Amino acid sequence: MADVLSETVLPDDLKKFEKIYHEQLYKNDVTPKAQFEYAWCLVRSKYPADIQKGIILLEELYKTHEEGQRDYLYYLAIGSARLKEYSKAMNYVRSFLTIEPGNQQVLSLQQTIKKKMEKEGLVGMAMAGGVVLAVGAIVGVGMAIANKAK
Amino acid sequence: MSAGPYNYSYIFKYIIIGDMGVGKSCLLHQFTEKKFMADCPHTIGVEFGTRIIEVSGQKIKLQIWDTAGQERFRAVTRSYYRGAAGALMVYDITRRSTYNHLSSWLTDTRNLTNPSTVIFLIGNKCDLEGQRDVTYEEASKFAEENGLMFVEASAKTGDNVEEAFLETAKKIYQSIQDGRLDLNAAESGVQHKPSQPGGRPGTAAGGDQPGRDNCAC
Ligand SMILES: Nc1nc2c(ncn2[C@@H]2O[C@H](COP(=O)(O)OP(=O)(O)O)[C@@H](O)[C@H]2O)c(=O)[nH]1
Ligand SMILES: [Mg+2]
Repeated sequence: MADVLSETVLPDDLKKFEKIYHEQLYKNDVTPKAQFEYAWCLVRSKYPADIQKGIILLEELYKTHEEGQRDYLYYLAIGSARLKEYSKAMNYVRSFLTIEPGNQQVLSLQQTIKKKMEKEGLVGMAMAGGVVLAVGAIVGVGMAIANKAK
Repeated sequence: MSAGPYNYSYIFKYIIIGDMGVGKSCLLHQFTEKKFMADCPHTIGVEFGTRIIEVSGQKIKLQIWDTAGQERFRAVTRSYYRGAAGALMVYDITRRSTYNHLSSWLTDTRNLTNPSTVIFLIGNKCDLEGQRDVTYEEASKFAEENGLMFVEASAKTGDNVEEAFLETAKKIYQSIQDGRLDLNAAESGVQHKPSQPGGRPGTAAGGDQPGRDNCAC
């Protein structure tokens, strides 16, 4: 449990927030809060399938709930990095930083991701590969976040 | 920098809690980077920082979880309390409401940590004396009544910041020495790292510890 990419959620916590989410889902009335809390736990799971699911929930929130976009972007970056989808993770980080340059928390996440990539010998690759994908999707949202940040 | 597998003998887990805007992230940043972030954006969820310190000749790595104070993060951030050896509970001396909420933060901490967890109360922003809204005496009394360590500090000037983090570590270390803190308990918040063979135990020539003194506020 040494950093934001390696600490994991406790199974009991995951279950707790899963239950709340599912109860709301059953009533067809899921609040962004419940969905975010569940997703936040999922992306910290040991299991890639959970992380994947967390990412899907966050992507959905990102499109539908403007208010929390910087939170969703941050945890999308963490989830992607934990799945070793580094180019995606770096894109999320970069688009966050174009809107809030100098955000220490996100800069530090960027460092942590880079360190993890270095450890896995992946640095050059993701740098070359990534950039294309998420950018288009994110620019539109950028303006919305720019208004929120401070 | 020869960073061996372990150039420290213990890991202590800390959490920083308190209302939004009291200066938790700035305190962490001042402690780990020795800089003040004048324009600090709101923390998302939890932030993490580390620093290696020295207590009684032992190197200790602090792993610090800085939590976001907003209500929407509170349910999940609670899970970071578990297994904390130290809890820094922060209010803003210029905003009374942040002080009034301390009992709720304290209840959470007591419920979610263990009896040996050291709780340190920090009255931050003591550089803003002119805007003071909570007296030193009042907070000091609150701390005493609840068995908390207490200091007024400023993440801006750095006053008492080192002290708060280091005094907490000393107290935890003392609990280990006294046997009050069980290292084998899963949630003690302390990990012991056996010193590496061929290491340099006991050398005081530590890398990154300037050992600054602090003045009072
Ligand atoms: N004057 C003064 N301002 C501070 C101090 N600590 C933090 N601030 C400011 O208070 C605001 C909130 O700080 P932050 O660390 O983000 O609070 P958090 O929400 O508790 O993490 C920021 O604008 C900081 O610049 C301090 O010791 N003195
Ligand atoms: Mg903060």
